[in-house]
Amino acid sequence: MAKRDLKFLIKDIEDATLEGARTACVQIMNDLVEAGPAYSGEFSASWYAVAPGKAPGSPRSSTGLYKYTLRNVPKTKFKTTGLYTILNTSPYAAEAMDLVPYSKPTERLEERKVLSKTIKTGRRSPGDTRGQVVGDGGSASSAPADWWSTFGLGGPLTKSIGKGFGKGFLTFGKAKGFS
Amino acid sequence: MNYQAIRAAVENPLLTAFNSLSPAVPVFFDNITAAPANTTTEYVRVNVTFGLTTEVTLTSNLDFVRGSVVIRVYSEKGKGPARNQTLVNTAATTLLSLSASTRAATGIYFRPGAVNGPTFSTTEQSPHMMGRIDAGFIAEDHG
Repeated sequence: MAKRDLKFLIKDIEDATLEGARTACVQIMNDLVEAGPAYSGEFSASWYAVAPGKAPGSPRSSTGLYKYTLRNVPKTKFKTTGLYTILNTSPYAAEAMDLVPYSKPTERLEERKVLSKTIKTGRRSPGDTRGQVVGDGGSASSAPADWWSTFGLGGPLTKSIGKGFGKGFLTFGKAKGFS
Repeated sequence: MNYQAIRAAVENPLLTAFNSLSPAVPVFFDNITAAPANTTTEYVRVNVTFGLTTEVTLTSNLDFVRGSVVIRVYSEKGKGPARNQTLVNTAATTLLSLSASTRAATGIYFRPGAVNGPTFSTTEQSPHMMGRIDAGFIAEDHG
């Protein structure tokens, strides 16, 4: 039967909570990559889990969907007021999240110029957001409209937290050598 | 699970509320591509998305839909925020009124969560100011 001196209880729970929070951040960020738009890979590589009072790290390079691990979540001390904030530092994050109207890029990528000559890609009316593409053709949106609100408010975030936190919290006991 | 009825539970009250304004403000829902009459016309977009449909529960009913409703109101740019805020207020008030819904033996039980926003934005390319609020919701279909 697993046993450990009672005096470690509170410290162990705090440490397990920290481990759970870190693992939850990894799970959430990977799920955000899956749910969100992806084209150059810059947006998917721009998620950061930031501890209170700290700043996000330097930009990462990615050519595809970024895969987050525990290395991307800095360790922090236990606080009852919150452990991490997850944010995206991409300059066009608000557009990618459909929070503000879409702005046409000042310069189109070379491959898009070639594609647009042969393929109908749909269009956005003035004031529409990134995901609100209408018209004929294979509309070029790699994530559905309002994916961010759906993720945060519609249940997937809660699911990610539960899955990630449980995984981290439950592995903690093994590391502490319960006998 | 009747997604259409869930959608109607939030779309109909919003449509009624904006139609009751004087003058009535057109509302565009998901997959409606109709553009407003002209670029300075006020209009509203309502988008309903579903995040989860079922959840493991302690009851025999697994149906527990969760999703989000995003309401964007567009008013003329360069005229101050007052009109936009009036339209946002109509949307927020309607959502809040849905919070008073009760669970009946049959039909759809729809309950919005906290209303986030409003946030306001304008861009160079758009002739409108956009106000945006969103809220998560839970819904149950009792047949």
